Amino acid sequence: MSELIAYLSPAWRDEALKRLQAELTPEKMNNVTTSMSNIYKNCPGGEEMFLFVECKDGKITRVETGAGEPPQAEFRILGDYETFAKISRAELGAQKALMTGKLKLKGNLARALKLASVSDRLNKVLAKIPAKY
Amino acid sequence: MPRILDPQDKYYIDNPGRVRDIQKEMHKRGIDVYLGSRIRTMSFVLDTFCPWRSYLIIPPEGQPTYFTFVVDALRVGDETWLDSDRVRAYGPMGGMDQVSAITDFIKDELGITRGRIGFEDGVSTYTAEGNLTHWEYTHFKDALPGFEWVNSHDIIDALSIIKDKGTIERFRTASLIVDEGHKAARAALENAGYKGMTETVIAGIAALAMRKAGSVSEWNFAGLNEISSGYRTGLGACTPPTTKEIKAGEPLMLDFHAMFKLALGDHSHNYLIGPATKRQRWHADNFVAIVQKVIDNYKAGTTPGTLAALMMDFAESRGCGDFIQPACEHGIGLFGDEWRIGSVVNPDLPYWTDQDHVYSENEMVVCAMQYAAPEEGIGFRYENDIVITKDGCEVLSKYPLGIEEIE
Repeated sequence: MSELIAYLSPAWRDEALKRLQAELTPEKMNNVTTSMSNIYKNCPGGEEMFLFVECKDGKITRVETGAGEPPQAEFRILGDYETFAKISRAELGAQKALMTGKLKLKGNLARALKLASVSDRLNKVLAKIPAKY
Repeated sequence: MPRILDPQDKYYIDNPGRVRDIQKEMHKRGIDVYLGSRIRTMSFVLDTFCPWRSYLIIPPEGQPTYFTFVVDALRVGDETWLDSDRVRAYGPMGGMDQVSAITDFIKDELGITRGRIGFEDGVSTYTAEGNLTHWEYTHFKDALPGFEWVNSHDIIDALSIIKDKGTIERFRTASLIVDEGHKAARAALENAGYKGMTETVIAGIAALAMRKAGSVSEWNFAGLNEISSGYRTGLGACTPPTTKEIKAGEPLMLDFHAMFKLALGDHSHNYLIGPATKRQRWHADNFVAIVQKVIDNYKAGTTPGTLAALMMDFAESRGCGDFIQPACEHGIGLFGDEWRIGSVVNPDLPYWTDQDHVYSENEMVVCAMQYAAPEEGIGFRYENDIVITKDGCEVLSKYPLGIEEIE
């Protein structure tokens, strides 16, 4: 696919779900059950947006994007749209963004650390979606 | 330290019951949430070794939630009785620093957005006490507008004074482990074994023996096993071991520490490395007599002030009043609790032992006495965990009291 998809649009969401399900097997996801909402502040349109990903027994079951309040999730990660965009463009590591306070995590850190590698795999798949920001 | 959940286990402590007692007191005082930060608070509630800066959030009902430095959260979760989701971490990440993680938890997960928050403030001679720092206090306060902050450490201080059966059993075992250290040290010293031996080496010999017997730490922060020999015995009550060699004709003080399930074994024993002079023997006999006198007078109903006066009068009657330090105990509890006696903050001398504290049955102290004649290069120390009983006290280290001359 060479056509650029608008980041966080319904088409991007569908592509994300398709790729995540195809590329991340339950084994690669360590058979985890978890969910995460990324909250995007200072978006280009002025609205606050979200990306929600749900995983049950290692299988990616839901990807949602949109404006306003995201679905309830085990973890919430808050940051500027531009920070998330940099991560998606592989210009900034998610860990570094967290460790420098550019992203803020809400949830159980001890459990989040167990899921760090899983989250990294997920980000790498999302980064490959040709997107316009 | 594996968790103990069986009430029939002789070392069992009813930790959920302790939490309920704290919550009852919170309710009485109108405290909506308690933010604990002292090591003694962690030990008392979690029943787990918590060495890193930690915070305990106690809600009005239900289990508390513990936050510690991220490197140690999994181990604590493995050892404590709390549900796994009640052990959390803070760390160097956005939103996960101490202040953000804890204040978000209080507001978002507990749903408490205003009210009275109990916290732990004060001062101690014990460096690692863990009261909330000024930085923590101001930043927590800024992140929790709408809360009234109430210094409430005395809730836990009061509840932890009388020891339950499981706690006392742990101290009995910890003290017997210390005795193993003293036996090993004594064996190493005899037959001129002390020659060429340094204070650090005798400390290590005892440490190995105690570890073999089940100790997990020489817990004391003032030098682990404290040793002094020669003139150093007269320097007071903090003697981390040095590379000084133990020598003939000198006094030797061995103060060993063992930790067993957070209970703190603590026993000091003294020797004279022969040949001893008559003057050294006189000092030694004075000290043994004073220790025995004090031990004989512990009982429920007496006070630290009464015992100190009795001790000083007795020392004076023997002509050695100038050499005895005017106090005979320090507090003791699970790891992190080893300072003052009583829970009352006396306004005249805050955060020091309450001299009028009335001892009760099953209260524990470390009977601690220091005798020092620095001009003569001699001194002695006695420490021993004791349990106050109705008519006396139970001395937990069974190593015989005395100051033996080792030839």
